[in-house]
Amino acid sequence: MRRILSSITDGKGFDLIMVGVTMLFLFALAGVPLVYNVVMSFQQVDMFNLNTFSRPFAGFENYVAIVSQPEFWLVIRNTAIFVFGSIAGQFIFGFALAIFFMLSFPFASTIRGLFLVSWVMPGLVVGALWGWILAGDFGVLNAILRGLGIIDGTMFWKSDPNLSIWAVTIANIWLGLAFNMMLLSVGLAGIPRDLYEAAELDGANGWQRFTTITLPMMRSTIGAVLALGLIYTLQQFDLFPAITEGGPANSSNVAQYWAWQWSFQLFDFAKGATVSMMMLIFVLVASIVYVRSTRHEVRG
Amino acid sequence: MTRVAAPKLLLVLALALAAVYLFPLYWMYATSLKGASEIFANPPTFWPREPDFSIFPATWERRTMDTFLWNSLVIATGVTTLTVLLGTGCAYVLARYRNPWIDIGLFAILMLQVLPASVMITPLYVGFNQIGLLDYPRTAVIIAAAGKSIPFYIVLVRATFMSVPSELEEAALVDGNSRWGAFFFIVLPLARNGILVLAILTFMQAFGEYIYSKSIITTQSLQPASVGLSGFLGPNSTDWNGIMAYAAMYVTPIILVFVILQRRIVSGLTSGALK
Amino acid sequence: MQFAKRGLLAGLALGALVAAVPAQAQDEVTITVWSIDGANQVGPSDTFSKEFDEMDNGINVEYRILQFDEIVNETLRAFATGNAPDIVSLDNPDFALFSSRGAFLDITDMAAQSDVINPEVYFEGPLNSVSWDGRLYGVGKYTDTIGVFYNKDMFAEAGITEPPQTWAEFEEYARILAKPDQGIYGATLSARGNEEGTFQFLPVIQMSGGGYDNVNTEGAREWLSMVKGMIDDGVLSQDVLSLGQWDSTGTFNSGNAAMAISGPWEIDRMVEDADFDWGVTLLPTFGEGDERSSALGGFNLGIMSTTEHPEEAFKVLEYFVSQDDRLFPEFGYLPTRSDVELPLSGIEKKDAALAVFQEQLQYAQPRGPHPEWQKISKAIYDAEQAALTGQMTPDEALSQAQATIDTILN
Repeated sequence: MRRILSSITDGKGFDLIMVGVTMLFLFALAGVPLVYNVVMSFQQVDMFNLNTFSRPFAGFENYVAIVSQPEFWLVIRNTAIFVFGSIAGQFIFGFALAIFFMLSFPFASTIRGLFLVSWVMPGLVVGALWGWILAGDFGVLNAILRGLGIIDGTMFWKSDPNLSIWAVTIANIWLGLAFNMMLLSVGLAGIPRDLYEAAELDGANGWQRFTTITLPMMRSTIGAVLALGLIYTLQQFDLFPAITEGGPANSSNVAQYWAWQWSFQLFDFAKGATVSMMMLIFVLVASIVYVRSTRHEVRG
Repeated sequence: MTRVAAPKLLLVLALALAAVYLFPLYWMYATSLKGASEIFANPPTFWPREPDFSIFPATWERRTMDTFLWNSLVIATGVTTLTVLLGTGCAYVLARYRNPWIDIGLFAILMLQVLPASVMITPLYVGFNQIGLLDYPRTAVIIAAAGKSIPFYIVLVRATFMSVPSELEEAALVDGNSRWGAFFFIVLPLARNGILVLAILTFMQAFGEYIYSKSIITTQSLQPASVGLSGFLGPNSTDWNGIMAYAAMYVTPIILVFVILQRRIVSGLTSGALK
Repeated sequence: MQFAKRGLLAGLALGALVAAVPAQAQDEVTITVWSIDGANQVGPSDTFSKEFDEMDNGINVEYRILQFDEIVNETLRAFATGNAPDIVSLDNPDFALFSSRGAFLDITDMAAQSDVINPEVYFEGPLNSVSWDGRLYGVGKYTDTIGVFYNKDMFAEAGITEPPQTWAEFEEYARILAKPDQGIYGATLSARGNEEGTFQFLPVIQMSGGGYDNVNTEGAREWLSMVKGMIDDGVLSQDVLSLGQWDSTGTFNSGNAAMAISGPWEIDRMVEDADFDWGVTLLPTFGEGDERSSALGGFNLGIMSTTEHPEEAFKVLEYFVSQDDRLFPEFGYLPTRSDVELPLSGIEKKDAALAVFQEQLQYAQPRGPHPEWQKISKAIYDAEQAALTGQMTPDEALSQAQATIDTILN
């Protein structure tokens, strides 16, 4: 007994309590639903058995049905565009801005703070706002692009199958830019100044300093940003119903929205669960990237 | 380029970038002040022809926004409290060691994030129903939303703890502090800036919580402002200036708090705990 | 709470038994009602619920507003977990999902006893949508349909005297009336990728001899090619693919489209917003005098089979039905029955439009009823969108839809 007590105050017990309570909580609120979805993807589900676990077993029927949907490959392609497009956009612009705001000029940190506003905006509001900005005939984006002479006619962001997935991606880049910029700024601030000064003395130019100092020193931050970016991009849902509803003809439909459509528009809960299980693979990759990136962390 | 002119040029460039980035916000305010036909004008008007400010009190009144915003406040406070209580210690432990168990822990936390809230809600609803939590809908939403925000909080607060030098803690332990003492009196104070900032960000995110609230809270007087906003988006009635007026009143307080606190938030996030 | 209530009830019952006190202090029954009414403006279900709640008759009514997109899945989930409301109001094609599985209470016998609810007075379409296997599971709340709104000023200016009667005329006039340089389209409609798209496209299939079980008709293919051509030539906005009916008609009201396909819910806003002369005509047909069709919209009311108070719930339903004569004057909705007279509003354009929509209702055909309507509907609007964006030819799109529908029906 005393051993346990002293372990709680002074040893591993402390760590186990700290981590254990939280993990139990997370497991109950995220792990159980996850298992529930896995089980459901192998069953036949309707409104009469939604409340129980004992349902007719369906084997891989749901998976076969999902893969043989005519829009399946389109959805995969769109998910890839959305995820990689969003991450690339958020990361590149976010990195550029983060470096820009590291330069010293008046009000640098105040103005950088303004960029964070998008982060705290409710997703629903952002979706409504961008749906409105991207509208074809009365959308303000087209008016601006026409005014600048970039386009001639009207770009139907939401209705042109070649543009629709990009329309949502643009909105998502806007939304996620702040998060990327902030985390990358944190990483940049952690790099000791004297490293740059030494490199400058050695005659390294800006690009060389970036590739030999900034990037290696930022490895763990970059890993975290990319992994979290991937996960949060796959979670991004609010923008789709508000901007394109996955249309036209599924040309902007992505896995997370498709899963929702199956469950809540077509009321086929098993197929919705099946699609969400397929997303697991994406997150698996992201989690591995993140955990690997933490290996390069240096504790302060 | 001379060294003297450069900062000013950079300032101008920064302001220009901020203006482009914040344009959507301006558009929200501008749209809310336009008349019902003006919003569908082609090309759009950049400045409302006859700004009509009465839309704000009218929308506030008609939508009972005081109740909605109060509920958002309650939910956001609850989520933040729960997140900080459960997340901080966990993040600390995960930052302190470097072994395969930690890898597994981090991996598990991220994997538990796989499902979007829109897919999680069905199992959560079924589970909450079975333990009777649905009778306390706001509490249920707080618990569910905390489950979503904790992993995010852990990952970021963990980074803050990484910047607390381990020597300080070891010194405290050598001085006879228990692990609890070292954690509460040495490490936490050093990491407080980062924790505070992430608590604020968690709060602001929870202020916009939507998916869980809309399914779990069935009584209108307990619903948060996000659910109230979705009430606008009916089948055949999309009242854009009303939506934008509501959105403006909804986000303006968050933005104001943010602008007031932003110096603190930004420095808390960028300079880590010690600077 | 539940337990306390039951305890109270048991105590009261015991007290009544022992002391033979007349059971005056009965526990009040609470009936919950879910509907989408009341979100934007006052609607019938919220108003009638409140009125009934305020009556001193031992029945309380608790009313909840839900969003259109969510009411079916919220009801489904609540039903699955035993939290279903007593009465719910659903869009008519969604009704069969519940009635076919016995999730709605069979009210055939109750209606036969009722002085208020008489199934015989209802229009056929709405009645079909609340019936399953010859049994009655609910009543129609209100109904609507679609027609063509047209800008009379633009027609006069172009020297067109009559609104279009056939789709060929519709295209011809739209091409004449479009003025791309002024941002004016010839027409607008909604081909959105949700129920609204099916709502406007299915009538076209039906009037060309098809139905939801037979979508690849010659007429439907022709119509898709026609609309695609109009989009390509800028006569229709490409945004018809993402705009809902209300937004699409908004462009008509602001003078950016010469015609609009939409329904009677637009009338009040149009009277207020449109600063030009306008009228309504029936949905065009393929040839002159050909078969007509239109969409049947509107909501139904049903009692969930899990209700603990079927009799009280039925009383609430009866009250709602007894107020049907207020639907049009107070809320602008058309009743689903033939025995309610619609008073004239005195607004000339509104009354004229109403007359057209009442005529159009005779041709309105329900969507389904089928328990998996949502999947059928998705196949139909996906096909429409695939054809209109040029991702597939009309024939490819419609045969793909037909294949999907066949697997659902068989």
